[in-house]
Amino acid sequence: MRGLVALLGTAKVLGAHEDLLLYEYDGAVDTATPDAVVLPDSTADVAALARFCHEHAVPIVPRGAGTGLSGGAIPVEGGVVVSFARMARILEIDVPNLRAVVQPGVINLHLSTAVAPHGLYFVPDPSSQKACTLGGNVAENSGGPHTLAYGVTTNHVTGIEIVLSDGTVVRLGGKAVETEGYDLVGAFVGSEGTLGLVTEITVKLTPLPEDKRTLMAAFPTMDEASETVSAIIAAGIVPSAMEMMDQLAIQAVEAAVHAGYPLDAGGILLLEVDGPRDGLDDDRARIEAICREHAASEVRVASSALERERLWAGRKGAFAAMGRLSPDYYVQDGVIPRTRLPDILRLVKDAGVRHRLRVANVFHAGDGNLHPLILFDSRLGPDELERAKAAGLEILTACVEAGGSITGEHGVGMEKNCYMPLQFQSSDLAAMRRVKDAFDPDGLMNPGKIFPTPSRCREFAFAATAR
Amino acid sequence: MTRAIPADATECARILADAARDGRTVRIIGSGSKSYVGDAATTDIEVATSRLAGIIDHEPADLTVTVGAGTRIADVAVVLERAGQFLPLDPPHGDEATIGGVIAANSNGFWRARYGGVRDLLIGTRIALTDGTVARAGGRVVKNVAGYDLDKLIVGSFGTLGVIVEATLKVLPLPAASDGLVGRFARSQDAFAAADAIVRGASRVEACVVERSEGSAWRLAVQARGSTLTVSRAIEDARRAVAARQGDARELGEDLGRMRELPAHATDGALVRVSLPVAAAAAFTETAARLESVAALVADAASGVVRVHLLDDDDAVIRDAEALVAAARVVGGGGRIERRAEHLRSRLSTWPTRPTGDFLMRRIKDAFDPAGILEPGRAAFA
Repeated sequence: MRGLVALLGTAKVLGAHEDLLLYEYDGAVDTATPDAVVLPDSTADVAALARFCHEHAVPIVPRGAGTGLSGGAIPVEGGVVVSFARMARILEIDVPNLRAVVQPGVINLHLSTAVAPHGLYFVPDPSSQKACTLGGNVAENSGGPHTLAYGVTTNHVTGIEIVLSDGTVVRLGGKAVETEGYDLVGAFVGSEGTLGLVTEITVKLTPLPEDKRTLMAAFPTMDEASETVSAIIAAGIVPSAMEMMDQLAIQAVEAAVHAGYPLDAGGILLLEVDGPRDGLDDDRARIEAICREHAASEVRVASSALERERLWAGRKGAFAAMGRLSPDYYVQDGVIPRTRLPDILRLVKDAGVRHRLRVANVFHAGDGNLHPLILFDSRLGPDELERAKAAGLEILTACVEAGGSITGEHGVGMEKNCYMPLQFQSSDLAAMRRVKDAFDPDGLMNPGKIFPTPSRCREFAFAATAR
Repeated sequence: MTRAIPADATECARILADAARDGRTVRIIGSGSKSYVGDAATTDIEVATSRLAGIIDHEPADLTVTVGAGTRIADVAVVLERAGQFLPLDPPHGDEATIGGVIAANSNGFWRARYGGVRDLLIGTRIALTDGTVARAGGRVVKNVAGYDLDKLIVGSFGTLGVIVEATLKVLPLPAASDGLVGRFARSQDAFAAADAIVRGASRVEACVVERSEGSAWRLAVQARGSTLTVSRAIEDARRAVAARQGDARELGEDLGRMRELPAHATDGALVRVSLPVAAAAAFTETAARLESVAALVADAASGVVRVHLLDDDDAVIRDAEALVAAARVVGGGGRIERRAEHLRSRLSTWPTRPTGDFLMRRIKDAFDPAGILEPGRAAFA
């Protein structure tokens, strides 16, 4: 502590117990208290801090807004948490080159708001976009409802400045679409803070679509909603968003947000097409017809921006709305090929029944990215979270067996690192380990994340081998 | 040089492990269409991917396809077309190029700005490594953030990290309609201004490319695909943009194919390829066009990738090629000598300058290929 204060000054270092408590959690279910919190305001601060930590072999854990859903910002092995709250400036809006250069603490939505007067936006729009930071988006390779047509964070980042765990500052990429040599920007995005600290980001800006059509379709059951998703793709339409919600989620959302979703529906789809105005009504009409062919009881088309906002408010506020149903939830993020939606959704339901927990589903149906929200009540004892985790593991196992992934956008963090062997063989993990060692040979960057750790994963390592 | 043609990933990995143990160098060949790239040395072994070919999995409703690395993209296109789909990649050497080669060389065409490039479309690979293992990166689903995105390292690695044996890519429904036009301009700035208006406009075009070849005229080729309504709107907008800058619009012929295949035809002199911040492409191209050695020039106005073919006496070609790569760096981009005449190889290196972060690239290379047997000299920092 004293060393850190001497290095950076009292204003940039927190060490009091009550201050540290604020940094022991993120949006997930695990907690751990840092030894110190540092609030740098420049790349030079970050580099000095990294050199200090390197010299004293102290772990470094970067943190954006703490909205992450996999425990990525939790100092599970202690050390210094680096908050980027004070590195939150948009450094440049480069309209001719369709790029913005930002510091990592800039809030996702603030960037899109800032560039909107130029008719541009930053595409990735995770549900936490009002709070989450672009540094966090880079770490987690964040997605959002519009990734189906436009991709995730990695598709929208062309340059980064990073500080390695020994304090070396490296600039990678830039404003061009590619640079010579290995794509280290691509390797870094989604590395969950385990390769280095990102101190500056160059992102693509995209011209705002000329217009949009937003539809809400209600179905008797989730099966019909799922089949509609596949039928729309089969018809040659790739909507910019296809979101699905089950009855339990609809009830929570309606109680909290009043988005106007029909309470009696077994499932709803929220669909959006955007682009040049000319083709939109045609697409909308075709989507509407497909929904009706699949027994949609109601198809509502937003007739104004306000109505569109309201339909989206329900989706974006869905996680928060779960408070109406349950004091706690554990959210999973598995991905499946979208053709497997109906059977995996049944399996999700069964897992809930087996573990005596309710499960609400709010997810990105278009890319097969599930978000089962497993509801539990920690006041009833530690057994509740344990059962939620057990149900979650069953769901993820099913996703992997269906040819999918344990995480589509929330990251592995400390929450699923023990599950990595479900999806990857030891040779796959060894290849990732080589990248880790190239960037962070001393293993000081965000330890205990992504890779299974012997101490915490003993039980799972055994389970995976036995399989 | 001995030639190995592994039948599967395991055999491929074993060949690499044996080579690593014996310290024998390896080059990897798909169709061989891009073997001119880099400063590659002769190797002891050539590993061909021709038997690692074929469609492994294609579930149309998932919008993904999994293929063997040795599969020609033209063959993938045929299979996809039967299902009403396409792989949105239009790289040079379109008739011969294999999926593995396109990924290894990060070989993109003009569709990148609309659909994304190889890095954006690739969602999974299987790679045979020099330690004899086969590693899987990514997966078969369109969204996946489990662990590091090793696919990104593989794209553009020119076989220096391992042999790609299998790849999964995103595909799209085939658009119903297609149309295009060519605008002719007397001045390059008019062609680029029209291109800029089209790229930033509401209608989304598929290709927007500026070319100067014979004579001094500048040509802007625009292509749009989509529904009938969106295509006619896009072409209408493009026609207006061309007319507003004193351009003369005609029907699109084989122009885009010719522009795309410049690397295939630039067998003499030197072909410089630079990637620039998109707004820098106009000034760069105009400056490049003034060089006396310029034989052809193709600028992808939507993505900022510019190719300049130089033909002149050797000294002039070398001087201008190196100057163009240096100029690209000055404006915040980068580049390489993509191709040059055989006799220029010893005098004109592919990468006149080193990329930033090359020490990290070197560490990664050493971690994957500690014996240094894979494609010596092929990639930027090797």
